[in-house]
Amino acid sequence: MTVPEVRQHPEHLEWVGKSIPRVEDPKFLRGRGNYIDDYEVPNMLEVAVARSTMAHAKILSIDTSAAEAVPGVVAIVTSENVTDHVNPMPDFGPSPDKHTWYCLAVDKVRYMGEGVAVVAATSRAIAEDAAELIEVEYEPLEPLTDMLAALTDDAPLIHEALESNVPFHRKFAFGDVDGDFAAADVIVRDTLWWGRSGGQPLETVGAVADYDSATGMMTIHVNSMSFTHFLFLLANTLRVPSNKLDLQPHPSGGSFGAKFFEVKTATIAAMMARVTGRPVKFMQDRLDNIANGDHHGSDRYYEVELAAKSDGTLLSTRYKVVDNYGAYIQFGVGQHGNSLAQAVGPYRMSSIGYDLTAVLTNKCQQGAYRGFGSEVGNWILERMVDLMAAELDMDPFEIRRMNFIQPDQFPYFIPTGNVYDSGDYEAVLKKTMELSDYKGWRKRQAEMRAEGRHIGIGVCTCQERSVFSATEFWFWFDEPVAAPVTSAPESVTLKVDAMGAVTATLYSNASWGNSPETMVAQFAAEELGVKPEDVSVVYAGSNQGMPATGPGGSRFTIMVGGAVEGAAQSIRAKAAKIAAHLLEANEDDLVWEDGGFAVRGSPDQRKELAEIALAAHMFKHSLPEEIETGLEASHVQDHPYTTMPNPERTNLGVFYPFVGHASHVVVVEVDPETGRVEFLDYTAVHDCGTVVNPRSVGGQVIGGTVQGLGSTLFEEFLYDEDGVLRTPSFAEYLIPSALDSPTLRVGHNETPSPYTPYGVKGGGEAGRMMAPSAICAAIDDALGIRIRRLPATPERIVEMVDAKD
Amino acid sequence: MKSPPFEYHRAGSATEAAALLGELGFDARILAGGQSLIPLMNLRLAAPGFLVDITHAPDLAGIGANGAGLHVGAAARQRTVELHAETLAAAPVLADAISNAGQVPVRHQGTVVGSIAHADPSAEMPAAFKAQGGTVTAQGAGGTREISSEDFFEGYFTTALEEGELVTGVTVDAWPSGTGHGFLEFSVTKESWPIALAAVMVHVDAGTIDRASVVLGGVAEVPLRRPEAEAILVGSAPGAEVFAGAAEAAAAGIEPLSDSFGSGAYRKKLARVLTRRALTTAAERAGGAT
Repeated sequence: MTVPEVRQHPEHLEWVGKSIPRVEDPKFLRGRGNYIDDYEVPNMLEVAVARSTMAHAKILSIDTSAAEAVPGVVAIVTSENVTDHVNPMPDFGPSPDKHTWYCLAVDKVRYMGEGVAVVAATSRAIAEDAAELIEVEYEPLEPLTDMLAALTDDAPLIHEALESNVPFHRKFAFGDVDGDFAAADVIVRDTLWWGRSGGQPLETVGAVADYDSATGMMTIHVNSMSFTHFLFLLANTLRVPSNKLDLQPHPSGGSFGAKFFEVKTATIAAMMARVTGRPVKFMQDRLDNIANGDHHGSDRYYEVELAAKSDGTLLSTRYKVVDNYGAYIQFGVGQHGNSLAQAVGPYRMSSIGYDLTAVLTNKCQQGAYRGFGSEVGNWILERMVDLMAAELDMDPFEIRRMNFIQPDQFPYFIPTGNVYDSGDYEAVLKKTMELSDYKGWRKRQAEMRAEGRHIGIGVCTCQERSVFSATEFWFWFDEPVAAPVTSAPESVTLKVDAMGAVTATLYSNASWGNSPETMVAQFAAEELGVKPEDVSVVYAGSNQGMPATGPGGSRFTIMVGGAVEGAAQSIRAKAAKIAAHLLEANEDDLVWEDGGFAVRGSPDQRKELAEIALAAHMFKHSLPEEIETGLEASHVQDHPYTTMPNPERTNLGVFYPFVGHASHVVVVEVDPETGRVEFLDYTAVHDCGTVVNPRSVGGQVIGGTVQGLGSTLFEEFLYDEDGVLRTPSFAEYLIPSALDSPTLRVGHNETPSPYTPYGVKGGGEAGRMMAPSAICAAIDDALGIRIRRLPATPERIVEMVDAKD
Repeated sequence: MKSPPFEYHRAGSATEAAALLGELGFDARILAGGQSLIPLMNLRLAAPGFLVDITHAPDLAGIGANGAGLHVGAAARQRTVELHAETLAAAPVLADAISNAGQVPVRHQGTVVGSIAHADPSAEMPAAFKAQGGTVTAQGAGGTREISSEDFFEGYFTTALEEGELVTGVTVDAWPSGTGHGFLEFSVTKESWPIALAAVMVHVDAGTIDRASVVLGGVAEVPLRRPEAEAILVGSAPGAEVFAGAAEAAAAGIEPLSDSFGSGAYRKKLARVLTRRALTTAAERAGGAT
């Protein structure tokens, strides 16, 4: 693919850009959401998973006799026989045959919480009673949680077949890194740690599986899983033909990435459905989700160098990254593609060095969490820019502003090969300074400091890439492990029925707490001249489905927008033929306006969409011969802008091209004796191109910022050196509530993308990508410290204050 | 997170509850608000075979104050006690403690006496009860007896109650006018468990502290009285230096455990800071009352 055509966006939009109430709200607010845990079928069993109490141990024997004797228990599958029933899990990792992953541990357990047995019983309570009675005899092995220790020669091996704990290591150089460093006047260096947190949806992952032995059809109702065009991988795991697997999507109470391609829950339910011959529900509880949910976030150690000229001109960044992936590596190192997509931030830098080591340890594996690793890259870069500002004694705003890529430089190719489609960073910064009253706060800060208060102000200017390409799955390797796939589609079907009513069918996940139905309703309303609240939105099961990838990488709104646009074009094209016939006019003389076709220059001569639809459905033989009955069209939207990596991998191609931007300004007060951080003010201005619904994007920004706050200040899946998970429930794994959160002032700037329908860019991961940088800068400013490790817990803040004194 | 099986019994009175406890034996537990017990059961950290629900016993629901103190029945909900007109006057440190515990919906369910009887050394109400002082009324098959707040807490989730006894109520002793209280806790998030807390009372007479109570929570196996700190306070005039000294003494010698929320050393530091600040507040309030 070459560069896509630059679009001319319509000047007047009827629905795109309006804060209509979410069309999903009525069903969810009335308890009519049809969540998976509310879904019941006759004769259904429930399962519970017995989880490992050891971090690293050989499984010697499993005794299920006491569990089997519990009344109500129907079947038990354990580590010892799971491979009789299923194949390994789908795995996009570097060498799946060397770090093989099943839905239960096989031969040995590799983290505390890994499943060792699954019990199907007539109720979940009985299944838990029985699971507790399963006796597993372990031979303890040396636990390993420290990623740097995992690199040493005498480290215990997590996967013996891999012969080391490093499934991936590669050194990339994009641009003339050595030359830029040689030309630098100033180089700042630091060591930084990003702690492991994760998305915490209100509702965990659940599945209800039903196997029909007569037809061989495996039907699974799920609230997880994007990537419906990759479901043949799950069919392989379940040993069913790909055309005998049907996934029925249910809305979920949030994902934040944590349900992205969560297939283990469905696999366990499906396996037990086939073993028992009855429908089976597996609903993770919170303990399952935290310990064994396969979607912990990034867990990284960095050694970073930033090179600049003495006037503050940034030249290059050199990263040495180690990422602790845990026991398995289902998505490979995709989280780093997200970092590399926007590796220079909003700044002009001509080179990037990236030395990446993935390690395996006795922790639950990583998955997706809002930002998918790019939030870490943002934090690292902003930490380094702050360090450079301090080194050069420059204002943190000024060093950023002077390095911004300028509006006339777009489309701007960054050294990794990715493109930034458009942007106006200075406009965002200006708006942020005004909305936050930055100058006023600096004045107040001085006054409050004079009273002995510890007030800090922090700023960040960060990118938000959107719409990933599939090349990101494999450009890490010279020879891709699997095929070098390039498809990442999204599809929609629009149907105008005989009454002119519009139904949109979606093919990936049902609502994940984002607003897919609102987006589709607004787009369909815009394209077909109907009202958003009159558009009916339904979801198709995968077996009757079209190719879809679902939410992830802030792609859904853009991709489904393109799908709706394409389907609506087909519908209008057919409608034009019918209207021309009904109006006895030439098709070329018709114009589409206000939801109908009119004869150019004779606005009274018009047919509404409903009239055309009635004719299309009911009066076939009154219409020209070639017009078939019905008014329905589907469209598959493929990735709008993907280019291939070069063979040397010194250029990764275009893989995340629609790049938004944001600036946050945070004012905090910190108690140096306790480490408590209080937010006095918080301003977030985002530019995600054309805003489809300011209210829903505002909600994304607020929610994402609060999640970023959690990752910054206290959220962490904490494993001790024995591999014991110290944060197994919400009593220990702390998430921010409204009481811990600032009231945000949210502003929008709109720099439309030249390449997407209406100029929309992704905004779904906003907030979390920015908040850690701005909050850390504010705390540093308040106390005269430098945060190098997240989360910056109260205790760590106090330690830094004490170390300074 | 489903509880193991158990048998549910509902007691209509304190006497009936005591009889049920006697009949059902060691595997029976009292169910009051259930805000601690039920989560423990769902996490399978507790597995009582029998629950005796006392929240429907009318003789356990009462709250009442007289000049001597505040009486709280075992079935009285925290929110009811918190909002009761006499609580603030008679047991102000308890009122503060309740306001800091959980969220409002939790306090509508939870009971004050249940929290005290649960004897979590990190919890608010046991520390406040011990700081202000009072008695626990226990009832068993053999009748009732009174246990001093000083003697009630014996260890982690362990009290002076005998098998077959339940707490029917507590009485918090009133302090004379001229008393100020301070209650401060630190939790990593606003809604999470306090990792250290200080509950203090001081009585000031003619510019001199003549009575003081300093109790720390979250730093030991029981809500911990700090006599060394009290000794520094009594006989001194209220002031920053005295409070700093008392806080230092309160934190000296304690050896809190480490957990995912913070190390023992951090808790120790928090204990010192919170005590100093709570004393400062208490002295201000004591001054205002005279």
